Amino acid sequence: MGKKESRAESSEEKVIRTVCKDCHVACGVLVHVKDGKIAKVEGDPEHPLNQGIMCPKGLAIKQLVYHPDRIIYPMKRAGERGEGKWQRISWDEALDTIATKLKEIIDKYGPYAILGSVGGKPSKNMRAWYVVINSLGSPNVGWTDAPYCFGPFPIAAVYTYGAFISWEMGSDVKNTNCVVIWGGHPASSHPTWARMFMQAKARGAKTIVVDPRFTSMASKADLWLQLRPGTDAALALGILNVIINEELYDKEFVDKWCIGFEELKERVQEYPPEKVAEITWIAKDDIIKAARWYGKIKPACLYGRAAPEMLSNSVQSLRALACLRAITGNIDVKGGNVFDCFPPGFIGHVYLWFPEQRMPLEVEEARIGAKEYPLLAGPKSPLGTPHTPGVIDTIFTDKPYPIKAWFISNDVQLCIPGSRKVYEALKRVEFLVVAEFFKTSTAEMADILLPAATWIESDDIESCYTNLIACRQRAIEPVGECWDEMKMMFEILKRMGVKYRSFPVETMEETYDIRLKGLGMTFEDLKKKHIIEIPMEYKKYEKTGFRTPTGKVELYSQTFKDFGYDPLPHYVEPAYSPISTPELAKDYPIILISGSRKVGYMHSMGRGIPWLRELAPEPEIEIHPDTASELGIKQGDWVWIEVAGGPGGRVKNKAKLTRGIHPKVVQCASHWWFPEKPGPDHGQWEVNINALVPMEGRDPIAGTPPLTGLLCKIYKTEED
Amino acid sequence: MPKYSIIYDKDLCLGCEACEIACKQEHNLPVGPRWIHVVPRGPEEVDGKLILTFKNIRCMHCGKPPCIDACPEGAISKRADGIVLIDPELCTGCKACIEACPFGAPQFNPENNLVEMCTLCVHRVEKGLKPACVSACVGGALKFGDINELTEELAKKRAKAVVPW
Repeated sequence: MGKKESRAESSEEKVIRTVCKDCHVACGVLVHVKDGKIAKVEGDPEHPLNQGIMCPKGLAIKQLVYHPDRIIYPMKRAGERGEGKWQRISWDEALDTIATKLKEIIDKYGPYAILGSVGGKPSKNMRAWYVVINSLGSPNVGWTDAPYCFGPFPIAAVYTYGAFISWEMGSDVKNTNCVVIWGGHPASSHPTWARMFMQAKARGAKTIVVDPRFTSMASKADLWLQLRPGTDAALALGILNVIINEELYDKEFVDKWCIGFEELKERVQEYPPEKVAEITWIAKDDIIKAARWYGKIKPACLYGRAAPEMLSNSVQSLRALACLRAITGNIDVKGGNVFDCFPPGFIGHVYLWFPEQRMPLEVEEARIGAKEYPLLAGPKSPLGTPHTPGVIDTIFTDKPYPIKAWFISNDVQLCIPGSRKVYEALKRVEFLVVAEFFKTSTAEMADILLPAATWIESDDIESCYTNLIACRQRAIEPVGECWDEMKMMFEILKRMGVKYRSFPVETMEETYDIRLKGLGMTFEDLKKKHIIEIPMEYKKYEKTGFRTPTGKVELYSQTFKDFGYDPLPHYVEPAYSPISTPELAKDYPIILISGSRKVGYMHSMGRGIPWLRELAPEPEIEIHPDTASELGIKQGDWVWIEVAGGPGGRVKNKAKLTRGIHPKVVQCASHWWFPEKPGPDHGQWEVNINALVPMEGRDPIAGTPPLTGLLCKIYKTEED
Repeated sequence: MPKYSIIYDKDLCLGCEACEIACKQEHNLPVGPRWIHVVPRGPEEVDGKLILTFKNIRCMHCGKPPCIDACPEGAISKRADGIVLIDPELCTGCKACIEACPFGAPQFNPENNLVEMCTLCVHRVEKGLKPACVSACVGGALKFGDINELTEELAKKRAKAVVPW
């Protein structure tokens, strides 16, 4: 074959079918590849979820993969920690250094001294870190956001009906006749779900949005409930009150499958709509209307998202929502909230239900946070994840034992509340390894920096929604010397002479076949099929019961009682509010929410991607025009924000005046940094609201530090 | 022959900006020029009720495009299938078309100092594909097709909202 021919062949465009992981949804993608490089990506029209659409995050993947600032080979620190001096090293040197250092630390301090952090960065291989940390014998690896994001929800769900069925993992918006979007804005965070909302609306489904902000989805909804931030539990209990007292609940389901209905009925009498209207600022008639719609229309789907998880009363708020789904008979029915249909033995990518994470009892009990927050971090917790604020404290106190090595796969400085303390902890820990795409302010602190592969450069098995199993096959080879994090972990284990704890395999590739065993197929088989739709099955509980201690839906939870918590959902005023802290409210008169999403950004990601940054170039604070005018703030002014109860200090945002927010509430941008500004902080201290939030006033069950529904004061900066 | 265009149904737009990035990627545009641009209108209070819609700024591929008359180089033309195109070989970047266009559609590209705008993805349309923005549209607000059919469909929908039949 002549040279000319092979060149012609190489320049031909190939289309590779895979799955996007720029957020949690896992939409189908077609990647056009030319000369081994991404030419473009587009939504897969045959994928049952996204049906050909694609959102800005995924559409801009090319600019992430080929970004000039991307970390593309291993590096070691060549100056002081955080000084920004790096030396390129080989993979061998990086892995040998890590293995030697880990052995040293384990010999001296024991395996618990090894800590691993992953977070909401699905574009990387987060489960990899469980492989190495758990195999070394440490229980301290986990989802750093768990106390306030995807921690409270699973605790409430598992201890009410046995499994998590909200978010993108069970909300059957597609087939519903009434959809409630509670505490989220999928049009910015998970647009595929926003599309389903619009399709449901076009079909005639009733639509309700619960959000303090008038979002585009709120503007499309039949009913918008603008609640006072942090009062989610009161609203849910008020809706339960109407549904129970007007006998709109599913009597047959309640009689047959629920425990504690009488106790719940008694509890909700404390929340008549008049009182709830006062607490939540929502008109009584609207509360009743929402209750009647959700109670009467069948099927109804409650798509609850992360906002109520960030409250000082997070778990009980979500318990109230769980009870709402249950007594209306909307659990595991078509168009309601559905349990997953994955076959037993299949290990997907639904977050943090990996067999790797469960350890022997005494090790589970030693996990940081297991004593204080047993349902978050202990053996009986659904997630088995350390309590992050506790972890940060441990780094300073060495109690109950020292933490010496820290493996990080996410941006802990930007994303964890108490960012300044996290920064100090990063400085203090003895050995720090970070796998990243870019030099984030967390990565800047590393001793060893590892170049991670993105979703488009690596293989995996993706499970999404309740019944879809897709092959994510790499469309291109990783840029430079980037590796899948799972490959890094197996190489570290090999060098340490330690076996993978969960399965008798030694390479990343072998794990795929093991995870598919429940389906009776191999990864090669899955590649050929690309996507498998498991037939939907409803009311599975009729065969198996609910996966709770009693096998029923536990409106009243004996487990909660045994742990010393209220067995029934209840409302607690936010830890910081004009009502609970009136003295503080004199100086900090405005209610602060933060963390609403911009479509191009996933947590702290995206600020360095030119196309995405153009959509949202600066952090903005949303202020009602009346409030702004009282404070002398004009559109586009830079505004200082100070938060009550936190460590002090201030951050600034640009004023965006909007009638879409209550005059007594402001919404501040979160996770902001400026990749273009010098490290190690990249300007985050000017703008990162997570540096100001209080660490106390926590939820007693999940240890949630209140991240939203706080008190603040705002004033114009001196600059023009 | 059909006259192609894109029509935008504001009732279906979620303001997610997928169209913008789909366009940037398809045409490999730098930061700056936005051939399609989503701009929020509101929330504004109308009769005590909040309303939020979006404007979608792009080339309308007008029936009688003022940009054609304004261009001193004769660089802009309307094809028989309705698509209005700027010829990059003839464009000098003088921006007269930007001044003439009532929609703010033509965009100055600082990388090549030329004015560019939506081509209706003519390279895709000629292969039987939809424009990139239409394919990515999350809410189904952007529709591509023959302008007569599209406008008729939208007119019917709007009329139905006022007078149900």
